[in-house]
Amino acid sequence: MNPLSEEILTVENLKKFFVTKQGTVRAVDNISFSIKEGETCGLVGESGSGKTTVAHTIVGIYEPTEGRVSFKGQSISKVFSQRPKNLKKDIRIVFQDPGSSLNPRRSIKQILEVPITVHRTYSNKDRLGRVMELLTMVELPPEEYLYKSPQAIGGGEKQMVAIARALATNPSFVVLDEPTSALDVSVQAKIINLLMHLQKNLNLTYLFITHDLSLMRNIASRVAIMYLGKICEVASTVDFFQNPFHPYTKMLLSSIPTVSDDEEDLKPQEVISRGEIPSPVNVPPGCSFHLRCPEKMEICSQVDPTMVNIREGHVVRCHLWQGTGNV
Amino acid sequence: MIPLLEIRDLHVRFKIFEGELKVLNGVDMVIGEGEKVGLVGETGCGKTTTMKSVLHVLPIPPAKISGGEILYRGKDILKMKPGEIRRLRKGEMSAIFQDPLAALNPVFTVGHQLRDVIKYSLITQGRENLSKEEISAQSITVLKETGMPDSERILSNYPIQLSGGMRQRVCISEALSAAAKLLMADEPTTNLDVTIQAQILRQLNELVEKRRISILLISHSLGVVRKVTERVYIMYAGNVVETARTKDLFADPLHPYTKALLKSVPKLTGEGISQGIRGRIPNYLNPPSGCRFHPRCDHAMPMCEGERPAAFIVGDNHTVACFLYKR
Repeated sequence: MNPLSEEILTVENLKKFFVTKQGTVRAVDNISFSIKEGETCGLVGESGSGKTTVAHTIVGIYEPTEGRVSFKGQSISKVFSQRPKNLKKDIRIVFQDPGSSLNPRRSIKQILEVPITVHRTYSNKDRLGRVMELLTMVELPPEEYLYKSPQAIGGGEKQMVAIARALATNPSFVVLDEPTSALDVSVQAKIINLLMHLQKNLNLTYLFITHDLSLMRNIASRVAIMYLGKICEVASTVDFFQNPFHPYTKMLLSSIPTVSDDEEDLKPQEVISRGEIPSPVNVPPGCSFHLRCPEKMEICSQVDPTMVNIREGHVVRCHLWQGTGNV
Repeated sequence: MIPLLEIRDLHVRFKIFEGELKVLNGVDMVIGEGEKVGLVGETGCGKTTTMKSVLHVLPIPPAKISGGEILYRGKDILKMKPGEIRRLRKGEMSAIFQDPLAALNPVFTVGHQLRDVIKYSLITQGRENLSKEEISAQSITVLKETGMPDSERILSNYPIQLSGGMRQRVCISEALSAAAKLLMADEPTTNLDVTIQAQILRQLNELVEKRRISILLISHSLGVVRKVTERVYIMYAGNVVETARTKDLFADPLHPYTKALLKSVPKLTGEGISQGIRGRIPNYLNPPSGCRFHPRCDHAMPMCEGERPAAFIVGDNHTVACFLYKR
């Protein structure tokens, strides 16, 4: 991973609101980040923090309310149907639940043929060959799986088919929306290894969405933490886990259940977590985390902090570090 | 240690159209009085079936307990009359089920359900003449104990109006107000966020210690079990493969399955992720003969296929069901 490599995706001041009967849900509220070519960017947050909304906006399922998303210099702040076809081919997504993202009435062959047919990347004659190649790529023997239906295979295998479908059009950027959260650890390990292997071979860039910080530690090159539609902290993985600055990050890191004493030593001093995540319909004024924050100050309930660049590549949004340039 | 619950060689089968699913294949387990025990295994290994057999809530048929005994204070639950079992469930042992929304009745308020539980469990304990006010007061107390904010208001809410963490707290307070001796918690924190999970586990732990209740914590998360329990059972495909003190097991796992499972967990130390376990969990219709793990095991020997390994004692309180440790 070359640190000088180009930025492939930039998100600037992205906002996505949903109007409901109960009020406006500020699912994503003014976030900015960028992803460099060939890296794995981890987007971490608890449920309801807006991770999936970000993913869906990038892929084009939602149109942003405000802000700009650009991919390889081209603006993609449009819905899927208005995007040029070559862009659709380049950005693909793997969904969270493999059980509901594959059509149960089609065979695996039919499922994998759809993107190839739509994008006309291969002639009708070569299509079957490509499907076989894709299945081999995700380590499923084609002769065994080609004519099976998704119901007949296990959860891990379904997710592998979903990955193969995402790769069918030779994309350069793949959004992985919690691809392993519904699976057991031994299956998760297999899928993660496969994904890392594919990234190296096909030169892919990943936006990896998850709630599992220990998983991020092992695969991401950069991590961003989201809380209630806003990004709290962005840093390179090593820096992030060694020197977390935001109180929420510390709370999150100290809450992770671990399996060895070595890991226990790496966790920050225990921050007792309390309170619940407020509803995104009425976000508290000021910093959205102040209701649960152990280091709350006067100002936190009044003014929303801005992003501060603490050191190279490490950005924090918290009043504690406001005005401290380089630490 | 005085054993409170003893499961001996429990076999459970399920009758389906194609034949018989041989799910539990001789489970042995002991829970001492006031002991915190964990039960870990992957999806479909029979953890919940074990718990349901103890509570006598398995659907019979299709399920069939084909062998073994479950001794509660020396008395076999499987041979008890329905009335005796009901009394046991009302006053002695209770359970927290996996999905709190499915466990709560959607058409009654939380208060209604909680008061019912308290009323009937107290009647069983021989305190019949309780006034309505006393029961209400008691319900607020138990709810407060779990760290629920604003308990008085919550009592008049319906389950659907509460967040996941709050629902889980309601289930915990229901279970705790009935359990005098044994609490079985089936994945109590699986669909919660890590910060909320940390809160719930902390409170559960405090309450159990304060009242000296034995707890059986069922989970697929090794980290959660390590945090809460004193002793742990590892289960694979209907068999207990290893049991030890939690500290010993995590420091020195012996069974090939336990080792592989622990290696698959992503760690905060960032040492990368192992290859996972090859193959997948066996089909219970025709499970492998002998040791059920042998088709996936790297150390499989010819004898593994022939007979089921007994639990070999390898240390203080540490047994492993694997021929590698046969003396």
